[in-house]
Parts: sequence; C-alpha cells; structure tokens
Amino acid sequence: MVAADTRPILEVKDLRTYFHTRTGVVKAVDGVNFELYPGETLGVVGESGSGKSMTSLSIMGLVPQPAGRIEEGSQILYRGENLLEKSASEMRQIRGKEICMILQDPMTSLNPVYTVGNQVIETLRQNDDDQRSTSLKEKAIELLSKVKIPAPDSRFSNFPHQMSGGMRQRVVGAIAMAGAPNVLIADEATTSLDATIQYQYLSLLKELQEETGMAIIFVTHDFGIVAKMCDRVAVMYAGRIAEIADVRELFNNPQHPYTEALMRSVPNVDEDIDFLYSIEGQPPALDNLPPGCTFADRCPYVFDKCLEEFPPAVASDARHIATCWRLIPEFANQEAR
Amino acid sequence: MTQAVSDAATPSTNGNGNSIIELENIRKYFPITRGVLLRRLVGEVKAVDGVSFQIKEGETYSLVGESGCGKTTTARMVLQVETPSEGVMKFNGKDASRFTGPERREYRASVQAVFQDPWSSLNPRMRVGSIILEPLLTNQPMGKHEAQEHLQTLLRDVGLRQAQGEYYPHEFSGGQRQRIAIARALSLRPKLIVLDEPVSALDVSIRAQIMNLLRQLQDQYGVSFLLIAHNLATVRYMSHQVGVMYLGRMVEQAPVRELFSNPSHPYTKALIAASLPSHPDIEREEMVISGEVPSPLNPPSGCHFHPRCPMVMERCSVDDPVLRQLSPIHEVACHLF
Repeated sequence: MVAADTRPILEVKDLRTYFHTRTGVVKAVDGVNFELYPGETLGVVGESGSGKSMTSLSIMGLVPQPAGRIEEGSQILYRGENLLEKSASEMRQIRGKEICMILQDPMTSLNPVYTVGNQVIETLRQNDDDQRSTSLKEKAIELLSKVKIPAPDSRFSNFPHQMSGGMRQRVVGAIAMAGAPNVLIADEATTSLDATIQYQYLSLLKELQEETGMAIIFVTHDFGIVAKMCDRVAVMYAGRIAEIADVRELFNNPQHPYTEALMRSVPNVDEDIDFLYSIEGQPPALDNLPPGCTFADRCPYVFDKCLEEFPPAVASDARHIATCWRLIPEFANQEAR
Repeated sequence: MTQAVSDAATPSTNGNGNSIIELENIRKYFPITRGVLLRRLVGEVKAVDGVSFQIKEGETYSLVGESGCGKTTTARMVLQVETPSEGVMKFNGKDASRFTGPERREYRASVQAVFQDPWSSLNPRMRVGSIILEPLLTNQPMGKHEAQEHLQTLLRDVGLRQAQGEYYPHEFSGGQRQRIAIARALSLRPKLIVLDEPVSALDVSIRAQIMNLLRQLQDQYGVSFLLIAHNLATVRYMSHQVGVMYLGRMVEQAPVRELFSNPSHPYTKALIAASLPSHPDIEREEMVISGEVPSPLNPPSGCHFHPRCPMVMERCSVDDPVLRQLSPIHEVACHLF
C-alpha cells in the first residue's frame, strides 16, 4: 500500500558511512540515496557486508564510535530536518518515539534482569505525558495484547527467559510500538524465528502498519520477505544501492546484473528448478574497492568501461533506478569481455 | 561461470535403490532429574518418538520441521553421537548398535558430517590441508606422497586451489570454509554425509554455489545425504525424499515432488503456507496456524499437532494417529486420511 501523501517522511541523501581503521578506510556505506513515504514498506536487501545494516544504524544515529563516521555532505532528512545535525539529546527524543528499530536477536535485545513489562514501561515513560504508574502499566498491558501476546496480564511480570523466541520478539515489537513511531526499521527481525512463527510475526507487523500508518524499512537478505511484505525494494551491493524499484517491477524486470543473478540463485518453494544459477566469487573487500563497478569481477556482462569507472545511476522511469553501464543506450549492446 | 549438475528437475539418482541406512521405530528419551545427591527421575523429554525412514544409495533424504521437532537428535543418532533409547538402526542391513571394533570403525568412516557454522567447525590452528586429511590419516595410514595426492583431488573437487591447502581457516570466507568442511567429510569416501543446515549460515549468492557443489559431488561420489534444513526451498532443490517432523514424530513422508505437489498433513500444508513466496504475485492459501510448538516436556495428548490444527476433530486429542500409506510412496499420520 503506497500512501497518497507525496512528501517523503525520510530522505537519505548521499549517505556515506566510513570506518577509519589503522589499515585504511572501510567504506561500509558509500553514497546511498532513497526516500521513504508514510505508510510505505521499503525492503533493503543485500548480502553481509553490503552496508544494509550500517545504513539503518546511520539513520538511528547508532554508528559504532569512534571508528565509524558519517562523512561530510551526507544527509538524513526526517520530515525535512537533517538528523545528522541533531544533538545527542535531540536524537534521544527521536529514537524510540519517531523512529524505532527491531533487531534480529530477541535474546540480546531484551534485558534479562528486568521483567518484560518493566521494559515496555521504560519506553512509555520516555514518551508519554501521563506518568502515573497505574496508567503506564495499563498501557504496557495494552501494548502487549496489541502484539498478540496471550494472557498479557500475567505475561507482564515474566522475565525474558520465561518466554519463547517468538514471544520475546513480540515484546520487542511492543517496545517499538510504545512510542507510536512513524518509521519502523526491522533489521533481520524475523531471521531467528521458525517458519510458522515468522509468518505470524510478519502478519502482525502488517496489521500494525495498517492501523498506525507507519512506514517500515525491512532490512533483510531474504527475497521472500521482500516479495511478501514490501512495496519497494533497494538492492545493495558493496555499500551502494545497485537497484531500486517497485517490488513487482524489480521481480519482473530486474535491470542490474546483480539483482538478476541473485534472483536466479534463490531456490523456490513453488516450483521445481532444474538448475540453480550461482554467482561465482565473492563481494569485494570494502577497504580496497576496485576503481570501476564493484560488481564487475562477478558480472557476466562485464566490458572494458565497467573496469574503469563506476556507473552512474540510470532511471528507466521515475521509480526504477539502477547503476549499470549497460543501461546507457550507448553501451546497451556492448559485448561481454 | 556455472557448472551443469544434472538435467533432471530433482537431483539425479545414482544408486540402485538399495538403502544405505534404515531407522526402525527409533526413540530417544532424555531423562529429567531433580536433586543433587539423590537424583530422582521426574520426567522425560521425548525428543524423538518412534521415527522410521530409510536413506537410499546416492539419494538425499531431508528432515524438515521447526525447532524442537527432533530432526537434529535424529541426525545425531545416525552419527552415533547419541544412542537411541529404543529402536533399531540398520547400516547395510546390519544392526549398527551391535557394531564393535573394526565394524564400528568402518561405520564411523562411512558416515560423515558437515555442520551449519563453518566458523566453529574448523580448527583455527590447523592448516586446511591437515584439516582435510586428518580423518583419512587417522583411518588409513599412508605415505606423505599418497596423502598429498588425495588432498589435491579433494581440493579440486570442492573448487579450491591447490595452494590453498597451506592456508589457515581464517583466511577463507564462509562459503570457502564450507567447501573445506565438505572436502573433509568426503576424504574417507563415505557412504552417507549428514548435512546439518549446510547453507543457512551463508550469504544468498554463496548458498547456490554450495548447493550446486553438493549435488555435483553426490553425482560424482555416489554418496547419500541426510539433510537437516528448515528452509523448504532448499529442501525442494536438494532432496529426493522428504520427512516432515513435529514434536519428535514423523507426520508425513514422501518423495520431494509428491510432497510439494500434494502435501496432505495439515502441518505440512501450514509449513508450505508459511514459507515465503518467490514472487510478489504469488498468493498462498491462507492457513494461519496459531500458537507455537508446545514444550516437548509435556506434549499434547493424541496427535501432538491437534491444539494448533485448523482441521481438528474430536478423536485427535485422544488417539495417536499412526503413519499410514496414502499411496505406495506417500505416508501421512493424520486422522483425516
């Protein structure tokens, strides 16, 4: 569901997050651009080291310090205001209230020595005007029932270890919803859950989205989640967005060779596959990127230009952008090397 | 760029249809005790509760199910890490629990394993060559020259360079480490390799490489696989036979095509319905199953699945359904049939 509102709630412009290490500069995120509209679900897919998680940590203002740095000229505009210019205390007001994040592992994202109820209240206390403890408790129980935890009254005083992985992840969801955020970032939020539990959790997130109209960014490596949940997809490779498009357009008409190859290399539950295509080689090291296109050495269509210069972003229409030399008419029929 | 594996939609069969290993009504109960000095038995976890299947020569048998269904315990019994509480496991027609001396040694050499996490399954202080040759040299004393020849063949077969035998594991990426683990498993020319989630820790583009490699090696070496996986797409691509487990019991068993085209047990259907679609246009039959897998400490009476089953009938909570033949190749344990 794409909302009618045409003003984006979040704009990421030329985001570059670098890690300055003794041995060199690691370009974890290297010039990422995208917009997120209210009520929209954007998928950010990529392999490990593609920069997808660092992009979401940059938005949250949680880039690991001191090695990590967001470079000059990067912009993250939330409702038109640049988050990178906010002070630490201003960011604290935004995190948890305006923009929330759900992480992969519910074992480590909850505090083992506090009851789950307390942890929901902790966030409520940050964000709520009504500070009376009875009303906070009521609200916490309401949140727990909103994320469909059975018997929320008694679960309120449970510790995380008394709950299953799926239940814990629901608690994390309740904490995220406590601030009634406008943007929810789910970073591999369902990866550690079992299939039927994952299905329940994804349905829950969709329901919550329909109810609140929040925008969701799904950071994932799984095209299945993208196919099921997302309106738009950004495919990341080596710190940059290789391709961004509406979800159907991307699946039906992938334009970047990486996207195309990745989709052909995923096995399928719905049909028999004779032979799975496999992309040989591995992603490049981020502290030693090649001069040309970062995908060049794995690309079946590579030609001379690819090795010399990084390709520009080419928009085949306003909503479909890919960075590949072959999309420029001049090079369209270039023979592979 | 890619290597042809086989033309058939399912991996081709090399064997003559003889079974390598047969499990008959295997059970594994873990005791639960209380007290330090006077240990009392207070209960049992029925991790595996009467499972039978056979693995044919040159074929892949897959066990699927959610966490706690007993698939890993079953695999550990096949590896003889765990002794069955009841039931018979036959290897080449002989009872494996009675093996002693040379027979047991032969069994251990014939059944090898590849684990999920290639970061913890390789000794960081050993060179890759020594890691791969260790099982071989332990079992068959041989000269240096002969050992080197074996090593070169194995490295080539799993797609590594000869010189890489001199490297240490940390110098490799996840996919390459998994190749090393596969080479080690193959070194003794085993009859069966237990693959416990062999690709789930790997990146999407690397998964296809390893799955294709495994299929190709199966053709080349005529080895059987026991695949433990939770991803149905992986199972569909890799397997000949599939067994679906729920809370220690086999609920459905069939050849891969039959299982995916005609899933019969409500749990199998739910698993398929909960698996993520391969394209945004694929609409799955809505089959939401509520709740979670109950504790194996205290499983529900009758059919273990009945509290979550959408087709539950009165007798389901009373009678244990037995595995019965739906057709000569398809077995299901459900009162609906």
